[in-house]
Amino acid sequence: MSETMQQASAQDIQERAAIDQSARLPVLFFFTSAAGWLFLATLLGFASSLKLAAPELWDACPWLAYGQLFPAHMDSLIYGWGMQAGFGVMIWLMARLCRVEVKNGVTLVAAGMVWNLTVLFGVVAVWSGYGNSMPWLDFPAYLWPAMFLSYAVIAGTLMMMFRRRREGEAYISQKYIFAAALWFPWIFITANLILNHVGGSAVMNAGVNVWFMSNLIYFWFVPVGLASAYYIIPKIVGRPIYSYQLAQIAFWALAVLAGWTGFNRFLGGPFPSWMPAISGAAILLMLLPIGAVAVNFLGTLSGRGRLMHYSPSLRFTVFGGIMFNVYGLLVAFSSYFDVSRLLQFSYATLGYDIMIIYGFFSMVVFGAIYFIVPRITGCEWPSAKLIRFHFWYSSYGIITIVAFMIFAGLAQGGAIDDWSGDFMDSVRRGKGYVVALAVAWALISVANLAFYYQLLMMAFGFGRKSEGPTLIHKNPGEAASAEEAAGFATEETAKA
Amino acid sequence: MKKEFPVFILGLAAAFVVPLIFLILVPYLQLSNADPEVYSEEDDVPTAWAYPSVWTGANKEGEHVYASLGCAYCHTQMVRPTYAGADMWRKGWGGNEEDGLARETRAADYSNDRRAMLGYMRIGQDLANVGARQRDRAWYHAKLYNARIQNVDSNMPSYKNLYRKQQIAQPSANAIKLEGRFAVEEGYEVVPTEKAEALVDYLLSRKMDAPLPGKNEEEEVAAK
Repeated sequence: MSETMQQASAQDIQERAAIDQSARLPVLFFFTSAAGWLFLATLLGFASSLKLAAPELWDACPWLAYGQLFPAHMDSLIYGWGMQAGFGVMIWLMARLCRVEVKNGVTLVAAGMVWNLTVLFGVVAVWSGYGNSMPWLDFPAYLWPAMFLSYAVIAGTLMMMFRRRREGEAYISQKYIFAAALWFPWIFITANLILNHVGGSAVMNAGVNVWFMSNLIYFWFVPVGLASAYYIIPKIVGRPIYSYQLAQIAFWALAVLAGWTGFNRFLGGPFPSWMPAISGAAILLMLLPIGAVAVNFLGTLSGRGRLMHYSPSLRFTVFGGIMFNVYGLLVAFSSYFDVSRLLQFSYATLGYDIMIIYGFFSMVVFGAIYFIVPRITGCEWPSAKLIRFHFWYSSYGIITIVAFMIFAGLAQGGAIDDWSGDFMDSVRRGKGYVVALAVAWALISVANLAFYYQLLMMAFGFGRKSEGPTLIHKNPGEAASAEEAAGFATEETAKA
Repeated sequence: MKKEFPVFILGLAAAFVVPLIFLILVPYLQLSNADPEVYSEEDDVPTAWAYPSVWTGANKEGEHVYASLGCAYCHTQMVRPTYAGADMWRKGWGGNEEDGLARETRAADYSNDRRAMLGYMRIGQDLANVGARQRDRAWYHAKLYNARIQNVDSNMPSYKNLYRKQQIAQPSANAIKLEGRFAVEEGYEVVPTEKAEALVDYLLSRKMDAPLPGKNEEEEVAAK
């Protein structure tokens, strides 16, 4: 990654500014609409967990039943926020790393609008009782072609940028983005065709559903999140990644294993038993690439952890990276029979899903957004305090959710596993934890309101006009970079 | 890297296509051909238990209602074998337990469904055999209208929109018995809509406990 190491020439700076300018419209469009979705998703998360704790609340209104609120919450979190914020990060990273300008900004925004409208229609449909109980594929059958078309425009643009790139060897982030862009249509088309149009085996419909969920994580969310982390960490630390070879190996290991995962959700299900077994094995082997990523990030960071104190981007990214590793360990652990008999259908399932979508992906994307937006708008984040607030409330919230859902899972799953006991014990034992879930979503909602406010300020040009970047624990202009703030006055990490 | 590009694409495609074929398409084709076994009298299986259980239009409509309300987010329909959990030992879950024939669910059990609603979480009971353990329609209607009627601690949503409150002209046979805090005004009654009836039809059809002839023989041999 020569870009970070060499002193940026005047020509480079000019070129980067031109690229940032070209990416401004589509990237800001995706970020701001995604942040709006995120706020809605967290509110729905709050409402759905409140309904678990107080089932008779507002029960005259059918839209507020848990069975409709929860899928509306997950779908808006995944398609409204997650994928859309991912598009923004992918476009900017691809443009910067390939050193090409974004030529079709308006087309991208049009595709983005189609995406937003389709997701809006889908979420309202699920919310109002036209869903189909297939997690993450709840939308009415006629919506997926529109989502696919809109996605195809975005992915096509990314691939064209990759083909036009100026530098020879592609950086690992570019590979991850290209791969994610290419993989998603396959899983999306396969799952939708089998579920909505081919019919056939009832059991395999359920199987394709869990396979899609797991593949969406490992073929899309993980690659996009890692692409961002592989860019942000070296950039802010100011040195190349620890081992490029290790990164390559981890990339291919992830690629080879990802497609086999999924059926571990239905361990002991009505499938030939080799299918859950092979998924469980793939999940265990997945620890190798996840561990390799951890080694790489830690190696890059080693001795420079203090930068996290100041740099918002690094702080969010590293938090996400830690969550990714913990997720890998927990999911591998849970694919053992002795653990899965307790946790398989418990609240822990929910905890794990939130952990990878929010704890890993969203936090990494927040890091990227805090890095990208100042560069494309030309102004700095208005308030470091609000960034800090966003970080701590989000991280407390997400840790609360994960920890409480695992303990809830053990309590609830344990009560169900005690087969001679009363089933209602599991409901009673779960009740307290569900209150914690609602509180955590409320915290996260407030944090995201702060984020949304700052992002809109930036988008509409009300950012801070100043030379120095916004750093945590420093006043504006006090330090020119996180490196300087942390006292690493070494190589120039040009404000690129 | 220009020359490596096709190799790169090929690698990505292979990473996807190989599991797609072996984990999805091949099992899909195999399981699609798994027609329900129709037992004859020679199999010595009581016809009441034999596949295929009779399906009516109402069941299909019921599956649709079940799915659209998001029931599968809290209810599984999957009884795990003993190596993966204690499901089939729980009273009523494995079905047919008086005869000692409680069992896990198999692929063929779902062959009349459009989609198997295997579920996401188990916040509520497993429903694979709910139709075997509870045959009383009134019980289902009361539960769906407000689960607290039967169970104070239940956290199941109330599906009041599936029921209609109407003035009593001639007391309806299928009106829900509502007492205490659940009671409606004097002169009114709550009756199920068609959607509610379809959903109950579907739930009554959840009986995945047909005895497996082969398995019985094995057990008999073991008993001797």
